[in-house]
Amino acid sequence: MTFLGEVMAEAWRALIDFGPELRSVVVLTLIVSGLSTVMGCTIGIPLGAGVALGRFRGKALARVLIGVGMGLPPVLVGLVLLTLFWRTGPFGALGLTFTPTAMVIAQMALAIPVAAGFTMGAIQDLPVAALEQMAVMKLGAVRTAMLALGEIRAGLVAAVVAAFGRVIAEVGAVLVVGGNILGETRVLTTLIVQESRQGRFGFAFAAGAVLLLISMVANIALDRFKPS
Amino acid sequence: MTAWRFPDDGAIVSVENLEVNGRLGLIGPNGAGKTSLLRLMAGISAPTPLGTVSYLPQHPYIFRGSVGKNLSLGLGAEETNHAVQLVLAFGLEKEMLAEPATQLSGGERQRVFLARALARRSDVLLLDEPLTAIAASDRPQMLSVVAESLGGRDVVVVAHDRDELIMLTDRLVVLLDGQVRQQGPIGEVLASPIDLDVAKLLGVSNVSSGLVVADDHGLLKVEVGGATIFGMGDVGVGEPCRVVFAAEAVTVFAGSAEDGGSARNRWPARIVSIAARGRLVEIVADAGFPVTALLTPGSAEAMDLESGAAIQLGIKAVAITVVPG
Repeated sequence: MTFLGEVMAEAWRALIDFGPELRSVVVLTLIVSGLSTVMGCTIGIPLGAGVALGRFRGKALARVLIGVGMGLPPVLVGLVLLTLFWRTGPFGALGLTFTPTAMVIAQMALAIPVAAGFTMGAIQDLPVAALEQMAVMKLGAVRTAMLALGEIRAGLVAAVVAAFGRVIAEVGAVLVVGGNILGETRVLTTLIVQESRQGRFGFAFAAGAVLLLISMVANIALDRFKPS
Repeated sequence: MTAWRFPDDGAIVSVENLEVNGRLGLIGPNGAGKTSLLRLMAGISAPTPLGTVSYLPQHPYIFRGSVGKNLSLGLGAEETNHAVQLVLAFGLEKEMLAEPATQLSGGERQRVFLARALARRSDVLLLDEPLTAIAASDRPQMLSVVAESLGGRDVVVVAHDRDELIMLTDRLVVLLDGQVRQQGPIGEVLASPIDLDVAKLLGVSNVSSGLVVADDHGLLKVEVGGATIFGMGDVGVGEPCRVVFAAEAVTVFAGSAEDGGSARNRWPARIVSIAARGRLVEIVADAGFPVTALLTPGSAEAMDLESGAAIQLGIKAVAITVVPG
């Protein structure tokens, strides 16, 4: 059998077997990325709406910062958080280094600007008449934001999809703050890094296939919320 | 006195001394700046000095959701009840309130947005072409509902329709090229347009070319198609001119006999056509030059007017504007 054939066969066996190691990694991936997406969107969507609709000093700067945040290198986010959470660092007492909690926080930091950016863009794309009418009606910040969010359902779905895509695919942040400890902080992306470094390509491919499957299922599920 | 300028240099609207007080009609050709002026008043382009404002834009946005949601948007409970009453008075079925707003026709949308704007309590009500999307047959009834709902607040209405302006407003402002060309009590402006542009805009039907033959302190004697017309204006003797007057300003007398009255202009004429026009009767007559007159149906009937009949037309010299041309 050729090398490629052997790799694929091994990947297939690992998938069929779906042993305890792969299982625990998949479960942790779903928990960490799921939680960080939900929390990141809970903060990011209202943030984006506020920046899009609000009239305040520094609005232009806020928009730029959200844009920068959308392109933040995950490994840099990991580095900053690891430094903050380090035993002798400012939040060392919390004991968060190399824990799933730290991974959720790191991915949340990546998800927030993405959710905010997509929301902000969708609201800014609303017809001028809609924005003007909301301004003239003077509904108050919360009702105005709710009204605007109701108008951009497809944009909201895109925001959640993009935030989830951002966190499920990233490896840098979780690797740095989580440490890729087997059974504790190893997720699918860090597993792929680990296995490919050790030459266990088949197992790495199996993890990659599961990653793609999760992404596909999530997208199909979220697509149902788009207005027809 | 308030000045309205948009943008800051006044390239689109530059209006001095326009007080929003009472019921104001705004008329002007497309691009005259009517909507820009209304947006200034609504506080969209810049903070408004007018207090609380209820604004019906020319093209309101339909928010996702039911007709009822759109109708009550931004309204309190009492205001919502009022809005529902109004929209039913405008002829919308109650069942439609539960339907998605995007399914409404243009006229139905206009009814919903107009009801919402009217029901909202405010210091000032701003209506941008409130009845444009409404079928002509439904307008008179809706117009009376709107007129009743204006209340004691200040109102500014942009409209092209004379009936609409007459029913809803007391003062008329004519906007041309972003500036006020003429303003005053609506009857005065309609009867005495200040120049030809305003006359055309107001749909004054009587414009005839002639020659100024005498000038008595601004009272001009003009020869038009063999007839003599006295009017007010500032055109030199011997110069070509146009005489402009409103159809409403013309008085019609049955028969050819002379009788009293202060009208300096008295022309024998023959009726060319009679037709209903809105709530009035329009008579086109030949007095050596064409004249259009508007009468109430009652007086037209009382005089037993018919096509081909000989009549007398009367009009005061002050109701005729003579402009260069």
